[in-house]
Amino acid sequence: MRISIKLSAALLALSAAPLALAEKAFDKEVAAEERGVVEVSNTSGMVEISGWDRHAVSVHGELDEGVERVDVTSEAGRTLIKVVLPEHSRHGEARLHIKIPKDSELHLTTVSADATVSGVNGAQRVNAVSGDVTTEIAAGNLELKTVSGDVKIKGHGQPAQLRVTTVSGDVHLEHGGGDLETTTVSGTLVVSLDTARSVHARTTSGDMHFDARMTRGSSFEASTVSGDLNVRASAEGGYAYEVSTFSGDISDCFGGAKAEKGIIGHSMSGSRGEGAGHMRLKTMSGDVQLCDRT
Amino acid sequence: MTGPKEHKVKSLAELPQALEPARDLWPGIEAALKTQVPAAGTGLSPARVRLGQLRWFAAAAMVASVAVGVWIGRDLVPLSGPAPSVAQATAPRVTPAQGANAVDAAFVSDPRYARQRAELLQSLQTRLDAMPEPARAKVTASLATIETAKKDLESALGKDPSNALLQELLINTYQDEMRALTDVHEASDPGRGI
Repeated sequence: MRISIKLSAALLALSAAPLALAEKAFDKEVAAEERGVVEVSNTSGMVEISGWDRHAVSVHGELDEGVERVDVTSEAGRTLIKVVLPEHSRHGEARLHIKIPKDSELHLTTVSADATVSGVNGAQRVNAVSGDVTTEIAAGNLELKTVSGDVKIKGHGQPAQLRVTTVSGDVHLEHGGGDLETTTVSGTLVVSLDTARSVHARTTSGDMHFDARMTRGSSFEASTVSGDLNVRASAEGGYAYEVSTFSGDISDCFGGAKAEKGIIGHSMSGSRGEGAGHMRLKTMSGDVQLCDRT
Repeated sequence: MTGPKEHKVKSLAELPQALEPARDLWPGIEAALKTQVPAAGTGLSPARVRLGQLRWFAAAAMVASVAVGVWIGRDLVPLSGPAPSVAQATAPRVTPAQGANAVDAAFVSDPRYARQRAELLQSLQTRLDAMPEPARAKVTASLATIETAKKDLESALGKDPSNALLQELLINTYQDEMRALTDVHEASDPGRGI
């Protein structure tokens, strides 16, 4: 019995050895321009990208046996980092830790790999299928698209063009600024904006929560079919508001405003402050809450 | 040449207030409507059926009038890459509400929209199969959500065809469906990403 146990343990150890050996490390560094473009693509695993002060791109990776290689090239201001899988395979995992010049423009594409970006000031274009994306933004524009991946964006209130779309992924944006255009089918939108000029938001069934400080003369439009819409937005110079719903309820913190109930549907309109900006909120069956105290 | 009874009109006041057709046209219209949607067996009175039909025709006309607008909006999420070629439609399809067929028919009157949507739907299952399982489940649920939203909006428009809010939300939903289908299509296109 004892011999049998020892034999089993030895066999187990032998079978585990190839798994441990399967993971291989990858390291490469190439020179890069201060404000060049860095393109990264990885199918599955993880990508962590951070900005640094050096004019170089550094890649450290842990690759499983399904990965054929990692290509890293830099030419004419464009650095490419691509995880290459064998033809007709989509199952190799790579965990990449990448440092890029902090003012680079970043183009990142993943399938199921989760991605984290921090300290990159340039524009970002991020595409993912099911991978989650967490990114920190500065004044650079952001175009971020996922299918089912969740999105977390942390800004610093600097104005930028932000365009975020998902099919089913949730979107969390903190301290955004500038112009936001966001669309999701069933994801939830939770957004805080420090200095927004314009907001266009749309969902089919996802709920929306906004906490926004808008600039003077700003515009805010949000619509959903069946999601609830909760907006707390203040604006320098106030705003004129129009809220309409087919079968949802409307509530506000304005005190005097009354939602009008028509034969079909409810609507509410009015003005806060000077009415310099515009606020339009629409739902079919979702409830709407509007408040100008953030 | 002028006929013997013809005379020149010298002022508007001489014109008749209304012109009656040479014969009563309504029986023909009514017969045509009855042919399209037989009232027998519905348990509704002919007048009620006619009212319901007129509502749906109004809804269809409304949606047709905004189809061009949808197509323009569709340009915000243009298709790219080769068109899928799988022959069989496999998309999850919710059965439309009664009367919504008229709305759908009007909506898809733009052949480019209809063609591209059909192409995307044909390849949908293949594209979904290429996705990781959790993503596939979430995306399938989202597409079903869009179908439900369309059905709900079409149903509400059947009751209130001129409702601008519902019209806008329906257009948004059609656009979002195209965007979602396009994203799924491109997401599973190896080497392209979305």
